[in-house]
Amino acid sequence: MATGLQTILNACDSLSIDRRRVAGIQFARNEQPRISQTPTLNPWKMTLTMPNSFRYADSRNLIETLDTLDRFTPQLITFSSNPKLSWFFRYQGTMTPSQIANITVTSYVGDQLVLGNLPVLPSTRVLFEPNDLIQIGAVDEHPFPFTSNNRVLRGTGATVTLTTSRPNIITGSVVGDSIIVGNPCQFYMFCPNMPTYKFMPGGWQVRGSTTINNAYLEWSDDFALYEWVATA
Amino acid sequence: MDNIPEVADSPPRINTAEFIKLTVFNEYGNVANTNVYTFSSAYRAEVIDGVTYLPMGGLLAVGVQNRDLRVTSSDTTIALSGISGNNIPLVLGTKIRGSEMEIIRGFYDDNYELANTYPRFTGIITNYAILNDREDIDDNFTVSVSASSYRTIFENRVAGRYTNQESWQTYSPGDNSMNNVYSIAGRTFDFGKPVVASGGGGTPRNPFEGPVRRN
Repeated sequence: MATGLQTILNACDSLSIDRRRVAGIQFARNEQPRISQTPTLNPWKMTLTMPNSFRYADSRNLIETLDTLDRFTPQLITFSSNPKLSWFFRYQGTMTPSQIANITVTSYVGDQLVLGNLPVLPSTRVLFEPNDLIQIGAVDEHPFPFTSNNRVLRGTGATVTLTTSRPNIITGSVVGDSIIVGNPCQFYMFCPNMPTYKFMPGGWQVRGSTTINNAYLEWSDDFALYEWVATA
Repeated sequence: MDNIPEVADSPPRINTAEFIKLTVFNEYGNVANTNVYTFSSAYRAEVIDGVTYLPMGGLLAVGVQNRDLRVTSSDTTIALSGISGNNIPLVLGTKIRGSEMEIIRGFYDDNYELANTYPRFTGIITNYAILNDREDIDDNFTVSVSASSYRTIFENRVAGRYTNQESWQTYSPGDNSMNNVYSIAGRTFDFGKPVVASGGGGTPRNPFEGPVRRN
């Protein structure tokens, strides 16, 4: 099993997601809002709360990986690698995996993603529902997923246009690229606050007459993951 | 004055980014020998007037720019990441002081397409600073560049000329009417009156010496 941040994702007690944009909000005296937004790369931010039930002896690999990642090394994580989490960001549309695999990007300017090579389906069939994850390119190519803002039907045209959750932050050309949909999408995350760990007595394990464990790990903080958009 | 439709009639929401252009003059008297650095707070590279502004990611902050109804002089500051790109060589390895800095404000539409841009500040870089801020295990480098608006430059400009030989002959090389100014500089003249005290190297008159005899 992959370790490091993927282990944290798989084992966390709770997960919170923050995709809020950068904006200055002021309220006038008559309470009218005035908003100034900055178009940023709008990275994914996830906060994972870990239980303090990890035995030290079982977590040596995890400890070493996290210490090696430190606060500045990104790692790919996905919700599909753990069967118990595969319901998360599950694709809600009606296309089959092979139909999705044939779709290519026609253009992606601003937050308007135009897809072509669509399957032959009735015009009322749903291709994407709101909050469906979409990753551009092959696996590992552009692990910066977007979500669909609204329901997209097949329609009758050669292409469909999605409004995505954030503008196209990928620097290179994506025209002709394939797409990945749903929970196989990858997130390229690092943990700027990488928590430290404390050993708490407990979880005593004996093999023969040798004690092999007598400590649980207690984490100093939540894992606040931040998308590594520096290489987008 | 520009009419900016994006902010006309008090819209409830605007979507803006700052675009910065530094023109470093490499050689005195040769305005063609320049290096131009452009960067922005935008999420992608944008082309404005044929110049590409990179989403450098190293632009940390743009300082306050005064906005008054009448023209006023003001300074501003931009902060750059010292661990990004060539920002430290930019201030240490070039003639950054005296360079021209332009700040442009770009407005995006609802689909994150750059719609319009407007100049916001134009001035001359007057100073820079490199800050290394280490607290515990957090170590950050910041490069700050200060710029004065052109109005400040004009305020500090020397208008007219001095009444000395050098300044006078800058404008009129053959005019020697100020050649003797150096020899009388700092001396007191009582024009139209008898001399009661001499300026320059003279000794001040002692008031206990009695009245001056007038012939």
